[in-house]
Amino acid sequence: MNLYQNETWLHSVNPSLKLLGLTILCIGALWIHDLNYMVTVTVGILVLFLGFTGQRFRYLFLLFIPFMFIFLSTSSAMIMFGQGETTWFKWGLVHITEESFLRGMLVGLRALLFAALGLTFALTTKPVNLFYSLMQQAKLKPKYAYSFMAALRLIPIMMEEFQTIRNAMKVRGVEKQLGTQGITFKLKACSIPLLSGSIRRAHRIAVAMEAKQFSESPHRTYYYQFRFSYVDTLFILYFALLLSAGYFVAVWIPFLP
Amino acid sequence: MEQLAIRNLRLKFPGEKSLLFRDLSLSFKEGEKVLLLGPSGCGKSTLLQVLSGLIPRSIDIPMKAENYAPPSSWGYVFQDPDSQFCMPFADEEIAFVLENLGVPRHEMDGRIQRHLREVGLHLDDLHTNISTLSGGMKQRLAIASVLALQPEVLFLDEPTAMLDPEGTKDIWSLLKQVGEDKTVLVVEHKIDHVLEFIERIILFNENGEIIADGPKGIIFSRYRQVMRNQGIWYPGVWEEHLRQQPLPPVQSKGDLLLHLQDFKGYRKKEPKIAVEDLKVIPGEWIVIRGENGAGKSTFLHALMQFIKHKGTYELLGTPIKKLKNIVDYMTFVFQNPEFQFVANTVREEIAYSLRIEKRDSVQIEETVQRLLHLFHLADHQHKNPFQLSMGQKRRLSVAASIVKEQKLMLLDEPTFGQDSRNTFALLSWLEEYRQQGTTIIMVTHDDHISDHYASRVLTIKDRQLISDEQTRRHEANPIAGTSGGAF
Repeated sequence: MNLYQNETWLHSVNPSLKLLGLTILCIGALWIHDLNYMVTVTVGILVLFLGFTGQRFRYLFLLFIPFMFIFLSTSSAMIMFGQGETTWFKWGLVHITEESFLRGMLVGLRALLFAALGLTFALTTKPVNLFYSLMQQAKLKPKYAYSFMAALRLIPIMMEEFQTIRNAMKVRGVEKQLGTQGITFKLKACSIPLLSGSIRRAHRIAVAMEAKQFSESPHRTYYYQFRFSYVDTLFILYFALLLSAGYFVAVWIPFLP
Repeated sequence: MEQLAIRNLRLKFPGEKSLLFRDLSLSFKEGEKVLLLGPSGCGKSTLLQVLSGLIPRSIDIPMKAENYAPPSSWGYVFQDPDSQFCMPFADEEIAFVLENLGVPRHEMDGRIQRHLREVGLHLDDLHTNISTLSGGMKQRLAIASVLALQPEVLFLDEPTAMLDPEGTKDIWSLLKQVGEDKTVLVVEHKIDHVLEFIERIILFNENGEIIADGPKGIIFSRYRQVMRNQGIWYPGVWEEHLRQQPLPPVQSKGDLLLHLQDFKGYRKKEPKIAVEDLKVIPGEWIVIRGENGAGKSTFLHALMQFIKHKGTYELLGTPIKKLKNIVDYMTFVFQNPEFQFVANTVREEIAYSLRIEKRDSVQIEETVQRLLHLFHLADHQHKNPFQLSMGQKRRLSVAASIVKEQKLMLLDEPTFGQDSRNTFALLSWLEEYRQQGTTIIMVTHDDHISDHYASRVLTIKDRQLISDEQTRRHEANPIAGTSGGAF
C-alpha cells in the first residue's frame, strides 16, 4: 500500500516549514482559552485533514476513531466533574454546569486538534523528504538524518522477524506455559532474539554506510533538493487567515458564550 | 606492481584471550583476483575489513600494522542483502553514494541509470521499493552502488551466501564482468563459481595463520585434505562424502502419515499454496524444490498450521483440527536457528519442551545427555545458545526440535550458509532419524541433497505443487492403493 498516492498541495509544502508551522500551532493551542477561537481553529485544521491529505474518507475516519475516543473521554471527565455555578444537571457525583461543559469542550477540542495536526503532517510528509529538508533548511547533521532513515527501514524487517519468532515459539510449545510466569517468559523469549538481531543489523548497516564513503564532509550534495515555493506562501497564508478568523469570530460573532 | 601490502598485522578481539592475527604479512598486485579460504572463525572477513580500512575506522577493534594505507578507492559487498542499504528506494540508495562523493545533482540521474544498467538490474521505475526486490536483485543493487564509488579494489565478503543456486551463478558471472579491470579480494565458502574467476588462493588455518598461498591449481591439488577438514566446499567434496557414506535405499512402509487433498494455504485471505493430492508414508525423505518465492516455505508453514488452510489435511488418519497438540506429532526447524532459542543454556534449551510437559526429571536428564553427545554439544552445555558458533547453533536447534521424537520433521533450508562439515554431519543425523522411522520434509536448493538423500522430490511453482517424483533412492512402493493420481 502506498500512503502517498494522491498528492495535494499540502504534500508539496516544504517539510521543514510544515513541521515548524504545525508545531507552533500545537504549542500555541495551549494558550487558547476561548471556545469560539478554538472551534474555528479546529474546524480549519479538520478541513486540511479531511480535504487535503489525499486519503480516502473511509481510511481517514478509521484513523480518527481512537482520537474521537480520546476527545470523548477527556471532555466528559471535565464536563461531569468540573466546577461551575450554572447547574444544568445533577445526579450524585455527576454535576454538569455550563462552565464545566464549556471547559470540557475546550479540553476535548485541544486533544482533537493535536491529533488532527499530527495526522495531517504524517499523512502528507514522506519521512525521507522530511529528513532531506531538515538537513537543507534546518541544518540537521547528516549523520542523524541518515541514521533515522536507515532505522525506518528496519521496522518492517523487525515485524517480519517477530512473526517468525512467534511461530518458532509455537513449535517449541511455549504456548503451554500459562499464567503470569508464562507471559514474562514469552516476552523474554521473543524480545531477546529480536533485539540481538536488530542490534547486529543496525551495526552492519552502519558499517555498510561508511563503506559507501558516508562521512561528515561539508561537500555533500543532495538527491532531493528542497526550497521554498509559492505553496509555502499559501501554507503560511492559510494559517494566518485561520488565526485571524478565529480572533474575528471570538470578538465579533461569538456563537458560544 | 604491488597495490596493497600489509606488514606484521596484529589484531585481537576485545575479550578474547589470544591474538587473531600475529604478525601477518600479505601483499596483492594490481588487478589480481584473490580468494581467501579458511574455516569459519579464522578471521577472513576481519582481514577484508582491515584491508579496506573499515577496521579501525568504522569498527573499533585494537590492531597494529606497519604503516598500512588502505586503497584510495574501494567498494565492499556484504553478505546480507537486507543489512547493507540505508535508504528505502533503489534510486535513493545509489544516490546516497553519489551524495557522499559530492556528485552534482544534475549528473545523478544519468549515473544511477548507468550503474543499474551495468549490473543488469532492469527496473520499470527507478524509484522501486527495495523490499519488493528478490535477494538476487538486492545484491545487484548493492553491486551497482559499489560501482558508483568507482573502485580500484573490490572486497567481496560472501556476496552470495543468502542466494539460491541460480542467483549465485548470476551474481558471480556479473562480478566476473565488473571486476575484470579491478583488484578483487574474495571471501567465500561456496567456491564452485568463484573458481573460474580467481587466480590465487590464500589458505588459512583456524588460528588465523596462512598455511598456503599460491595459484589455485596448486592449492587444490596439494591441500585437498586440509580443505575437507576445514569444511570448505571445494569441487568434488560431495563425491568424496557420498563414497564414504553410502546411503541405503529408502523403504517407506506402514500406514499413511500425511494426506492432503484439495489443500490450500491462505495468507491474509489469499491462497498462497495449492496442493491437489499428496500422500506421505512413514520413512520417506521428501525434498521440496522451487524458485525463490514460489511458495515452498509457505507450504511448510501451512502444514505446521502457522497459516490457515482449507481442504483435507489428515495426520495419521485423523483430521488435523481434531489433534490437540500438533507439536507432539511434528516439528519444524527454521532457517535461522536463533529464532528458536528460548532458554539460557544449551542444556536447558534441549530440555525445554520436555520440562513444560512435566515429564519425569530422570528421563529428561537421560534424553538431554543422549542428545548432547549425539550432536557434539556436551562441551558447550552450560553456554548460552547465542554464544555458539553458526554450526553449533544449527545443531542445537535440530536437537531441541527433535527432542520429543516426533514422527514428522519439517525443515526450511537447514543447510543454508553451513560449511561442508556441518552440512554432512547434519544430513547424517537426519538419515539416522529417518531410519528410525521419522519422516523428513525439507525445503532446500541443494541439488546434491535432492539427488542423493531424497527418496522423493516435490516441485512447487507459482504457488502450486506441480510435480511429485520418486528418486533412485526409493524402492518399489510396497503398499497398494496409496499411489494415487499424483504420481
